[in-house]
Amino acid sequence: MSSRDTILATLRANRPDPAAHPLPPVAMLGDMDKGRDRFENSLQILGGQILMPQEGDTLATAIARRFPDAKVICSAVPDFEGTIRIEEIESPQQAAATDVLVVRSPFGIAEMGSIYLSEAQLNNLNSAAHLTQHIVVILSEENLTANMHTAYLERPEFHTANYGVLMSGPSATADIQGVLIRGAQGVRSLSIWWE
Amino acid sequence: MKVKPVNHAKAAEEFLEDAPHLTFHDERLWDMRQKRDQQMHLLPEWQDLRTRASEIKEHTLANLPEYLEQFEANAKKNGIHVHWAADGAEHNRIVGEILEKHGAKSLIKSKSMVTEECDMRAYLEPRGVTVTETDLGERIQQLDDQLPSHIVVPAVHKLVPDVAKIFAKNYHTDPNDNDPQSLAEAQRMAARPVILTADAGMTGGNFLVAETGTFVVCTNEGNADLSSTVPNLHIATLGIERLVPRMADLGVFVRLLSRSALGSPITQYTTHFRGPQKGGEMHIILVDNGRSTRLGMEEFWTSLKCIRCGACMNTCPVYRRSGGLSYGAVYSGPIGAIIDPTFNERKYSTLPFASTMNGSCTNVCPVKINIHEQLYKWRRVLAEHHELPFVKREIMHMAGKLMGQPKLYRTAINGTEVALSTMPRFVLYNWLNPWGKHRELPHPVKQTFHSWYKQNRLKKDKAQ
Repeated sequence: MSSRDTILATLRANRPDPAAHPLPPVAMLGDMDKGRDRFENSLQILGGQILMPQEGDTLATAIARRFPDAKVICSAVPDFEGTIRIEEIESPQQAAATDVLVVRSPFGIAEMGSIYLSEAQLNNLNSAAHLTQHIVVILSEENLTANMHTAYLERPEFHTANYGVLMSGPSATADIQGVLIRGAQGVRSLSIWWE
Repeated sequence: MKVKPVNHAKAAEEFLEDAPHLTFHDERLWDMRQKRDQQMHLLPEWQDLRTRASEIKEHTLANLPEYLEQFEANAKKNGIHVHWAADGAEHNRIVGEILEKHGAKSLIKSKSMVTEECDMRAYLEPRGVTVTETDLGERIQQLDDQLPSHIVVPAVHKLVPDVAKIFAKNYHTDPNDNDPQSLAEAQRMAARPVILTADAGMTGGNFLVAETGTFVVCTNEGNADLSSTVPNLHIATLGIERLVPRMADLGVFVRLLSRSALGSPITQYTTHFRGPQKGGEMHIILVDNGRSTRLGMEEFWTSLKCIRCGACMNTCPVYRRSGGLSYGAVYSGPIGAIIDPTFNERKYSTLPFASTMNGSCTNVCPVKINIHEQLYKWRRVLAEHHELPFVKREIMHMAGKLMGQPKLYRTAINGTEVALSTMPRFVLYNWLNPWGKHRELPHPVKQTFHSWYKQNRLKKDKAQ
């Protein structure tokens, strides 16, 4: 008998009575506010930032002001130029030279300040979102969902994407004597640009 | 040869001798517990979430074979190679074979307790595979050749100078570097080139979703996403109990996990893998390693609900003051103490005694495992299986006799009072009384309750 069959047979013999443990209905609990303020508050708790436009700003000028030393600015959106397009990047090794990646997220979660990215937004180069030093995420207020329950219920991406990441602020660690450090091994900063 | 039980008390004693480490460890973990409480108080639905999480997990465990088959079918449909490992040896063999097929010699990995359980690095390294842990805490532990001391924060027992020393030796940084920021940066700089040239990546995982064939990885540093997306070969290892039935069930667990673990609302990365990336290959290994047997243990099967948040460890006064390494096992703390004996009853026979029975672990558990009751039940099982150490067994034996005979008990208690006030220290504080090692015995009372009752109430009762 294969290990698969042995494991399944043992589980069948050993399991508690299924009738005594019915599946509860899908949970829909907690705050249903899907407003921008809630999203921004949550984002700030997790170390994310808002890229605030100043008078007459475009995304390009705001990025130039926020990242004055950036040499490689990679765009994964049609409406922003950058110094290189994600379609021109052929490998993770090449993507590792990126200073700022600009992407558009299909939705955000107000409860957590999370944004979602999949291969559809990253031109199948998923590593680009983690190898870049900084990430700027374009997000629309209309695409906010209230909390984790509504996100998993409403968003079709969870059923279609092969790779789907919820990023909640930048990478972080507290593994050395409990000191919180934002910018661990993935992005050093995550900024939201409202559209 | 009979395996020796872990001497938890002795290891804890060594930990207790180092005041700076002990104080930091105790306070850091208690801080995590307090941050968890703050998050809990923000959510009026917290107890509902716990109840729901517990019900979903119990339902899934009762229907595990069907859900595993459903998961396997969906994952395969999405192009994931699904493997089954009965134990650690089979798991390691499978990983070795996949790597060999691809000629992969360097493996980068994110934190996985299951690969620790299987002792995978020790298997792969002699076969010419360089395994690099990419999680900062786990990497520190790898370089120091120690097990993780906590399931969420593996190097929580170390202070900055300890890390500086380890990095100086391995990364040639300044041994006197006292800045966590620059040490974390050193790890980033050391890991990047290894990640960019690795042949294969490996992750653990927090959840399997039967409905979609998805597995979910919750992390903070970004290393798991790098390990899984930079190389074109991704191997994921998960225990078979990690299942939930529906995608929508994840809402309950993601809302509880990081709040219970670190007191942050969510991990920085919550990643859903449903199939290989373009041009890539994806394998998932479903590991049993004792879990299917544990499912049949009437009093202990609910320990399989565990989502590995570590809240029980952070709150446990014994864990906080003894350190994870003192448990001598992959899983430490209260959850370790109830699952380790299922791996090796004799070796881990001492662990269920590393508890004050205060029940705090049960109160903070996000999936409502009755941890402290299982600790008690394990003690009973171990006593029945004659796995109690000599002193504990004899003391229990004597206590049993005394408690069973009121007259004898009263005489003994009176004797104790006399003993406590008159006997020399060396008689009271010795190896027969481990309780008195780091504590003073209580002051003797002037009068026992029984004799007071006899003097005051009994007379009155009779007079009435």
